[in-house]
Amino acid sequence: MSHSIRFAAALTLAAGLWGVSAGATPANKAAMERYFGGYLSRELRACTTCHLPSNVKDPESLDDFPHNAFGAALAEAKVQLRREGKKHDLVARLALIASQDSDGDGVDNLTELLLGHNPGDPKDVPTAAELAQAPAKRAEFAAFLKSYRWQPFEPATRPAIPPMPSPGSRNPIDAFIADQLHAHGLTAAGQAPKTILLRRVYLDLIGLNPTPGEMAAFETDRSPDAYEKVVDELLADPRYGQRWARHWMDVWRYSDWAGYAEQVRDSQPFIWRWRDWIVESLNADKGYDRMVLEMLAADELCPNDDGALRATGFLVRNFKLLSREQWLEDTLNHTSRAFMGLTMHCAKCHDHKFDPITQEEYYRLRAVFEAHDVRTDPVPGVGDKKKDGLVRAFDKDLAATTFFFTRGDERMPDRTRGALAPGVPAALGGALQIKAIELPKRTAHPDRQPFFREALLADSRKTVEEARAKFGPVKDNPKLPASQRSEAEASLTLAKAKHEALAAVLRAEILEDAGRKGTIEWNTAATGALTAQRQAAVIEATANLIAAQNAADSARKKLDVKPPAATAATELAAAQVKIEASQKSLAAAATDLASAPALTYKPRTTDDYPERSTGRRLAFAQWLIDGRNPLTARVAVNHLWARHFGQGIVPSVDDFGRNGRPASHPALLDWLASELVANGWHMKPIHRLIVTSATYRQSSIAEARDLALDPDNTWLWRFSSRRMEAELVRDNVLYAGGQLDAAMGGVEIDHTQGLASKRRSLYLQVAPEKEVDFLKIFDGPNPNECYFRRPSVMPQQALALANSQLVVDEAKLLATAIAKQCLDQDDFIRGAFLHVLARPATNEELAACRMFLKNSKSSPDRGRENLMVVLFNHNDFVMIR
Amino acid sequence: MGPKHPNCPGVSRRSFLADTGMGFTGLALGAMLFRDGVARAAEASPHDRIWSPPDGRPHAVPRAKSVIWIFLCGGLSHVESFDIKPELNKHAGKSIDETPYKSVLSPERINKNIIGANPNHGNRKVLMALNTGYKAYGQSGLLVGDWFKNIGQKCADDLAVVRSLWTVHNDHGAQLTFQNGRHPREGGMFPTLGAWVTYGLSTLNQNLPEFVVLGKPTGDCCGGAWTHGAGYLGPQYAGVKIEVDPKKPLPFLSSADAKTTLEEQTANLGLLGKLNHLAGIDYPEDQELAARVKSYELAFQMQRSVPEALGLERESAETRTLYGLDQPHTKAFGEQCLVARRLVERGVRFVQLFHGGGGGGAWDSHSSIKSLHSALSSQVDQPIAGLIQDLKRRGLLDDTIVVFGTEFGRSPGSEGTGDNAGRDHHPWGFSAFLAGGGIKGGVQHGATDEIGFHAVENPHYVTDLHATVLHQLGIDSRRLEVPGRKRLDMDRGQPIREILA
Repeated sequence: MSHSIRFAAALTLAAGLWGVSAGATPANKAAMERYFGGYLSRELRACTTCHLPSNVKDPESLDDFPHNAFGAALAEAKVQLRREGKKHDLVARLALIASQDSDGDGVDNLTELLLGHNPGDPKDVPTAAELAQAPAKRAEFAAFLKSYRWQPFEPATRPAIPPMPSPGSRNPIDAFIADQLHAHGLTAAGQAPKTILLRRVYLDLIGLNPTPGEMAAFETDRSPDAYEKVVDELLADPRYGQRWARHWMDVWRYSDWAGYAEQVRDSQPFIWRWRDWIVESLNADKGYDRMVLEMLAADELCPNDDGALRATGFLVRNFKLLSREQWLEDTLNHTSRAFMGLTMHCAKCHDHKFDPITQEEYYRLRAVFEAHDVRTDPVPGVGDKKKDGLVRAFDKDLAATTFFFTRGDERMPDRTRGALAPGVPAALGGALQIKAIELPKRTAHPDRQPFFREALLADSRKTVEEARAKFGPVKDNPKLPASQRSEAEASLTLAKAKHEALAAVLRAEILEDAGRKGTIEWNTAATGALTAQRQAAVIEATANLIAAQNAADSARKKLDVKPPAATAATELAAAQVKIEASQKSLAAAATDLASAPALTYKPRTTDDYPERSTGRRLAFAQWLIDGRNPLTARVAVNHLWARHFGQGIVPSVDDFGRNGRPASHPALLDWLASELVANGWHMKPIHRLIVTSATYRQSSIAEARDLALDPDNTWLWRFSSRRMEAELVRDNVLYAGGQLDAAMGGVEIDHTQGLASKRRSLYLQVAPEKEVDFLKIFDGPNPNECYFRRPSVMPQQALALANSQLVVDEAKLLATAIAKQCLDQDDFIRGAFLHVLARPATNEELAACRMFLKNSKSSPDRGRENLMVVLFNHNDFVMIR
Repeated sequence: MGPKHPNCPGVSRRSFLADTGMGFTGLALGAMLFRDGVARAAEASPHDRIWSPPDGRPHAVPRAKSVIWIFLCGGLSHVESFDIKPELNKHAGKSIDETPYKSVLSPERINKNIIGANPNHGNRKVLMALNTGYKAYGQSGLLVGDWFKNIGQKCADDLAVVRSLWTVHNDHGAQLTFQNGRHPREGGMFPTLGAWVTYGLSTLNQNLPEFVVLGKPTGDCCGGAWTHGAGYLGPQYAGVKIEVDPKKPLPFLSSADAKTTLEEQTANLGLLGKLNHLAGIDYPEDQELAARVKSYELAFQMQRSVPEALGLERESAETRTLYGLDQPHTKAFGEQCLVARRLVERGVRFVQLFHGGGGGGAWDSHSSIKSLHSALSSQVDQPIAGLIQDLKRRGLLDDTIVVFGTEFGRSPGSEGTGDNAGRDHHPWGFSAFLAGGGIKGGVQHGATDEIGFHAVENPHYVTDLHATVLHQLGIDSRRLEVPGRKRLDMDRGQPIREILA
């Protein structure tokens, strides 16, 4: 083994040991790397930058590797700074000895470091050519040191707003943007024309084009705050909630239930209530912090608030019938990515390779969710929870334990570590303050709520009425066979008896709930309930007997016919078996009824749940929204920004870690995050700030010079055009034709009705394999994961817009409507552009359309319809400019 | 002429429009531009300049251009088709424990690769005799069950049979695994082989999609559309499902307005081109606009080229008979095979052909395997043999790979008894075959043990088939990485070099 290999091996071993104690020497290596960023060469990211090979045979710690001249100088600097009572961290020490020449080779330490040469090795000297680059390198590095650092795992501070240089600036956002434009030699584009800006902000905030009337009003409003007034109106418009709910449904993975035939395998029925909660919360400008709390732990935070319980749909959505393991994995994965931009799931099988998360921390976070499950509670007016209900999360198994799974394999729990306590990654700071929660009675026993009893009674009353309605026409109709009459009568009697029995049971139950079991009153009720149940049993057996006797009669009649029907004999035999059985049960029921009254009535079957909750999820949610959590607010504002500009300040919106992409404007993101928290986490003020900035109002037209410097518009020297999302394409086709149904909320609409329904697209069913074709073609949300939409261009989109019934119908309706209001052909063309593209036609466009209509071989009506189809297919229809 | 690349300075707006042939002037540029434009817009950023999307050219000299990927849904019995096991006849009725092969049941071997096993499957110990005869065919002496005698008789020396596949799932979610290499419980959002091919290579045609799906695909329970999806690569790389019926081959292919004439459509497209041209003058660098114009032209072409490709009546009577179009039991699948050939002929890269899709899959013969497999094989045997023969005589087999696969094999042990007996799911060892496109013919590679239980010689996970296909197409899958999407070695597999010509 060569000397150098042994040296490296010893260092690796040692580094492994140090990893456990913070402040050990590899921390210096990390601090070096952090301080120099990309300015430290690979060769210098090594222990040898400060240390010499070991002179001990089997070195055990870095103490066995003596310092070289540079390392020694750093150590001396520490002593000196400490003696002077100054800050003596590695940064201060490096600064102190930057201009010294520790190894005495004639080049100072900083210059050697920047040029990739060892400052502690006199034989390692930069060449003359390299030295010529040194002044430039030093200047670059000085600028780098002054720049604002992207440190997503450090708590966000509120950076100072750069001075506003340009007269076009409108708010602090512009100052941060201008700062970077200046640094990169870019020039901000001018303000977009009014029509383009109006359409942009309408589509952005409410997802619909401005109408010609709204365009005219804005065009003629010359007041300086005309635009701000529009913004305020749009933010107050309920359609804002519908538009932005869809964005958050992407991030929070909204999915209607999916499964195999009727079996629910993913998500849950009635989860649409969570969607409605999102829309309502956004419209009410509920704080983002409160939204996070409610989604993760409304059942612990406010168990009596059914409105808020809907929010736990966020958790319910992860339900997976076929694998509890995957269910929990998805819950962890997507909770971490949605709220923290943290790829926790990478640490399921091993310590995270990029971010400071250990595998054990993964399982500690899992412990937060281990106890939870999903259930459906009753909703007012519905007696059958299969028909409708409030689907929600709750802690089911309070004693559930979490083990560390070796290599992430559930078959290999590491019991030596014991059951793991819930926790959060140490690198993010803070800790969970867990307190178990006592739940109100109605939460533990939802089926015993008065409204559910009322609904059950109402349902049973309805059954009686239905039986009565069936009996009515049969009763006095001599033409009908007696059997039909007797059966209808028996059904009615039975329905009445069952209703009486239910009412009697509920009376006893109410007394029990009031703690009056054993009182005289309860004794009477319980006795009454049992008697009613016994009576119902007699009536049921009688009804069965009548039905069986009738069946036997009818079979006998069939036997009398010549030749007898083939099945008649079998029918008769079956009926006779039934007669015997019902005679037996009738006898038994009669005996019961004749026996002494008793208290032992049969109680109703109810779903009952624990009266406590672990409080773990609430503690976790509170930790998330603690202002000191470095990630939550940053991730939230980045989501907002990404959807206003089509690109995030951190482009990997779900990964703020080292494997994600760094922030383009870290100072701006931190400032916005602190602004969000300072605003009580209300999002509308942030939207307002963003869309009223000069940055947002820029034109999307590119100047060749800027385009060459920054083709991807990372520095926002213009507004980036982007295609509408799938939902907007469909909604705006309907809206232009005047057909869009403005209704809000309710059950999801079956995916096969996607083109027939006129509701906004967010109300259409979306689940794996249950998606609307039209939306899917335009890159509609992948219900399994959709942190950010990536619009594609493909021929199926062209076919959908050119050929679908939706476009054909709306084109006809719109052509007729506009033609009615128009004086002449040009007027029609102008109107068409306004309605479909929300902008006036240019003279060249007018001429092209005139020519088209003139050359049209079909009728004028037909020509106008075709023109309308063409405009729906125009690139400008789907683009937000 | 000035620089053409729209990201380069100096391009004038009008010259850009002229150079890219925007407007209704036919397809000046292929799918290349439009793929490139989209991928760049979505992915590129100053932070990862090193990465760029594939440029559509193969990484190595390709041996094949197209793929026909035939998949039997539900699980074909390997021991009665292409991995004949006479030992089963010898030990029929005995429990595996009583045979010399009892070690196949050791829990370590059973559990080694299976993730989240469904306990209802895989406990069939009493060996069952073969339900069909078998014969050696061709110079290679390939043993083939009588259920596939047409393939045996006519194609034996064209096939490379891989008899040592294994998979990770013991239930029908393995259908998804076969296509994208992942266990279904991870969700479906991983690209399938067809999507990787489409992503990696530029198009060979101007008027048809690059990745087409025929037949009834895998049911929702078992992967559904994900089994021909593109996952995170984006929907433009997903398989386009086409019905063989030329009247309604895909959604929105013809106008919902029955009165629409070709003349009107042409006029509409003409005006659209003009208007887009006018509106695009301000946005010369907008590749998405260029791509959209192209997509309209491709869509317009597809309205005729797709029904044309489906026009089987133009095939000779002899060809139609070859595929079994004249027989009721072979007609449906025969039409799909014939359409597959016509698509490949017209430059479609990847045709994925499903048989027995929906639910768990028609081949899933837990009971009555004799009658079920007998009926199902009679639907596909002649059409597949016809397809391979037809490709060969037309010279298309030289650069077309045909792959024949299924999600897993069926158990050597019997499920149930008597005439109703069936075979259970069997993920530990099963078979597939490949033909054409630079694959050796008359080869048998890998082996299961004597009763067909475990893959014991040269075992291959299903992604090795993917790697083999990509290798023949000249693609190095390691060079198709997408930033932020870590792929494991197991996801990509290794080419099976022993079967390459």
